[in-house]
Amino acid sequence: MPFAITKMIDLDSMDYLVDVEAPEIVERFHPGQFVMLMTRKEGERIPMSVMKAENGKLTMFIRKLGKTSKELRDGITHFENVIGPLGHGIKEKAYGNVVVVSDAVCGQAENYAICEALSKIEGNTITSIQTFPSEKEIYPEEYLAKALADQHIITTEDGSFGEAGNYITVLQKMIDRGEKIDFVFGGGKLPTIKAVSTVLAKNNIDNLFTTRQMMVDGSGMCGACRLYIDGKMKLVCVDGPMFDSRKVDWDKAIKRYNMFKKKEKEANDYYEAHKGGSK
Amino acid sequence: MPKIKPRVPIGKQSPMERITNFDSVLYGYTEDQAVEEASRCIQCKKPKCEPACPVTIGIKEMNLLIAQRKFKEAYLLVKEDNAFPACSGRVCPQEKQCEGACILEKFGQPVAIGRLEAFIADWGRTHEVEIDEIKANNEDKHIAIVGSGPAGLACAAECRKYGYAVTIYETLHKPGGVLIYGIPEFRLPKAIVEKEIEHLKEMGVKIELNHTVGQNIYYYELVSQNDAVFLAMGAGAPKFMGIPGENPMDNVYSSNEFLIRANLMKAYRFPEWDTPINCGNKVAVIGAGNVAMDAARTARRLGADEVHIIYRRTRELAPARKEELQHALEEGIIFHERVAPVRFHGDDDGFIDYMELVRMELVEDEDGNISPEPIEGSTFYMECDTVIEALGTVPNRLFLDRAPDIKRDERGVIIVDENYMTSVEGTFAGGDASSGAATVIKAMGEGKKAARAIHAYISMHDTSHRQKVQKVEV
Ligand SMILES: Cc1cc2nc3c(=O)[nH]c(=O)nc-3n(C[C@H](O)[C@H](O)[C@H](O)COP(=O)(O)OP(=O)(O)OC[C@H]3O[C@@H](n4cnc5c(N)ncnc54)[C@H](O)[C@@H]3O)c2cc1C
Ligand code: SF4
Ligand code: FES
Repeated sequence: MPFAITKMIDLDSMDYLVDVEAPEIVERFHPGQFVMLMTRKEGERIPMSVMKAENGKLTMFIRKLGKTSKELRDGITHFENVIGPLGHGIKEKAYGNVVVVSDAVCGQAENYAICEALSKIEGNTITSIQTFPSEKEIYPEEYLAKALADQHIITTEDGSFGEAGNYITVLQKMIDRGEKIDFVFGGGKLPTIKAVSTVLAKNNIDNLFTTRQMMVDGSGMCGACRLYIDGKMKLVCVDGPMFDSRKVDWDKAIKRYNMFKKKEKEANDYYEAHKGGSK
Repeated sequence: MPKIKPRVPIGKQSPMERITNFDSVLYGYTEDQAVEEASRCIQCKKPKCEPACPVTIGIKEMNLLIAQRKFKEAYLLVKEDNAFPACSGRVCPQEKQCEGACILEKFGQPVAIGRLEAFIADWGRTHEVEIDEIKANNEDKHIAIVGSGPAGLACAAECRKYGYAVTIYETLHKPGGVLIYGIPEFRLPKAIVEKEIEHLKEMGVKIELNHTVGQNIYYYELVSQNDAVFLAMGAGAPKFMGIPGENPMDNVYSSNEFLIRANLMKAYRFPEWDTPINCGNKVAVIGAGNVAMDAARTARRLGADEVHIIYRRTRELAPARKEELQHALEEGIIFHERVAPVRFHGDDDGFIDYMELVRMELVEDEDGNISPEPIEGSTFYMECDTVIEALGTVPNRLFLDRAPDIKRDERGVIIVDENYMTSVEGTFAGGDASSGAATVIKAMGEGKKAARAIHAYISMHDTSHRQKVQKVEV
C-alpha cells in the first residue's frame, strides 16, 4: 500500500516540497480539500494541504519543524498511507475581484491551488499575497502563485524583501485605496487569521479561510477538530476546512491548536535520539 | 436441587499489576478449567440460555461437547451461528443475555457461558481448525459493504459463503470498527480481531481501507456498481454535553477521541508511536456505560492517579457490562453516583482546571420512568486536569448528508424493514447504523441475517438494472 515519494526538494526555506504518487486521490481532488498522511505504520494521521494534484501526484509543502520533516530529511522513500481527499473544496466559479492570502505552509499550498483553479474561470481578477518571515524563506518562483495571479505581492515579516509586514498590511492598503474586493480566500497562521477577520468584518468582505486544527480520524468520528462557528459546534474535517473567518471563535481555536505542543517536542527529541535505531 | 458448585475461577492479572500494562486482564480458561466449568451445565430439557442469545448459539450442546473434550466439534458448532466467537465471548453483556437466563443463576452462579465461548474460539484459532465455508460460486454478483465493524464483517462472511464477490469499504486505515478503535487491548486483544479479519480475507473478501463513503467514494457509485449494498457504518459520531465552558476546552475529549488515540493510534506507546495523548493525573469520565469504563481504565493505565466516574444515576443503573464495572472498581476507579457537570472552568492556557457539578435525585414520573433531576443549591466543585465525555454516540452525518434517498429517523438512525432493507431497494442496513448504539453481538446477528436477506433478494430479482439514487457529492 505504500505511497512513493517521487520528488523531495529542500526549498532552502522553512519548508520542503514533496511529490507523492496517489492517483486515486488526485483523480477526485478539488482545490481547498486536504489529505492526511502517515509516514509509517506507527505514524500519526497528519492533515496536509495540497498545492497541486496532477498527473497522479500530489504536491505538498512540509514544514521543516515537526518529526515528519526529519523523516524526510533522513531519506524516507514513501509514506505508509495517504488518505483523502478530505473536506470540501472551493466553489470553482466567478467571484469577481478575488484576493488570496497566506503566511504559512498550510495556506501557501492553498494559495497556489486556489489561484490555479480560479485563473481558469472567466470573471476572476486575482490578487495573490504571500507572506514569508524574511527574504531567505521565500519559495523559488515556480512554487509561488506568481504566474497564476493577475497581481502577485510578496511581503516579509521583517521587511527584508517586498512589502514589510504580513498580508494584512497589503489588504488594508487595498481597502484604504477603495479597491473593490469581492472575496478573500486565505490560510496560514491562526493568529493572523484572527487579526484579519476583524478587518474583513469591518469592511463586510466575504471570505473563506483554511482553518488548521489537530485531527485524528478526519471523518467526523472523534471531535478533536471541533470549532465554534457563531456559537455552534462544527468539525473542521467534515464541515471545513474553510470557514468564514468572521464567525470563528479564534481564541479557543488558537489555544486548542497548541494543546499538544509539549508532546510534539517530546516526539522530536525521541526521534533525534533514536533515529535509525527504532525503524 | 443438589448443591451447585461455584464457577471455576478464571486466571487474571491482579489489579495492581494490570494498571501498569495494556495486556489482557483475563488469561482465559485452560482446557481442564473449561471442561470443569462446562460440566456444571445441567443440560436442561428446555434451555433458557439459548433463546436469550441474540444469535441463538447451541449453548447447551457446546457445553456438553466441551465437557466431553470434543473441542473441535464444539468449535464448529459455535462457528455455525457466530462468525466471531472470540470477540463476542469477551464483550457480550452475558449477564443480560445467556448467563442472565441460565437456570443456575437462581441457585447461585450461572454457567460461565461467555468464558467458555471465548475458550472454544481461542482453541479453534490456535489449532487452526479449517472450515470449508464457500458453498457456491456467484462471483458475477457484487456486494458492497460500508464499514468493517462487527455488522459489516459478519455480513461479509455470510455473503462470501454464498459465493458473492464482496468488497468492504472502510474509512479508517485498519478494519474492525469499534473492535479495533474503541474496545481496548486489555479487554479484547487486537491480535484476535486481526486474525479473524485475516481469515475473512483468505475467504476472498476484499477490504478497501481509507475509503470514506460520502467523501472520497460516493453512495451512488456503490449503487451503480453493485447488485446490493449493505450499510454498516455504525453510530460513530461523538456527543458532547453542550454545557458552558465546554467550547473547546483543552484536555476535554470525547471518549471516541481518547480511545481512538489510545487504541487505534497506540498513543500509550508514545513517543515510540507518533500519536500523542494528554492524560493528566486527575481524570473525570462522564457516563457509566462500557465506553466510560474503557476510557476510565485506559486513563488509569496511562498513569492517572485518580480516575473518577461521574454518573447521573446510581451504580446499579450503570449500563456497563457487570464484569467491566467490577474490574474498574478493583483498579481503584472512583464512582460518583447522582452527580452531573454543569460547567467547565479552564486555566489561562485553555486547559480544563475544575468542574462545577450538581447533585441529582431520581424522580419517577406518572408512567414510572425514572429520570435524574438536579437538586437545587447542591452545586459543588471538583478539580481535574482531564475530562472524557462518554455520553454515547450518534450516526455520522458525513455519510447521511450524501445519501438523501436513505430514510432515517430524526436521530439519523437508518430505517429498515423486517428484511433489513432500507428505503432504497437493494440497499440494506444493520448494526448500530440502523439500531443506534447497541451491542457487538446484535450487530453481528443483524449482519448475518441481512446477508441472508441479500441472498434472497439477489436470487429472486433481476439486479442488473440498478436503482436510481441522487448524485450528491462533497
Ligand atoms: C468503547 C466502546 C466499548 C464498547 N463495549 C461494548 C461491549 O463491551 N459489548 C458490546 O456488546 N458492545 C460494546 N460496544 C458497542 C459495540 O461496539 C457496537 O454496538 C458495535 O461495534 C456496532 O457494530 P457496527 O458494525 O454496527 O459498527 P462499528 O463497530 O461502529 O463499525 C462501523 C465501521 O464503519 C466505518 N465507517 C463509518 N462511516 C463510514 C463511511 N462513511 N464509509 C466507510 N466506512 C465508514 C467506521 O470507521 C467503523 O469501522 C462498545 C462501543 C464502544 C465505542
Ligand atoms: S440454561 Fe444454563 S444450565 Fe441450562 S442448558 Fe443453558 S447453560 Fe446449561
Ligand atoms: S478529525 Fe475527528 S472529527 Fe475531525
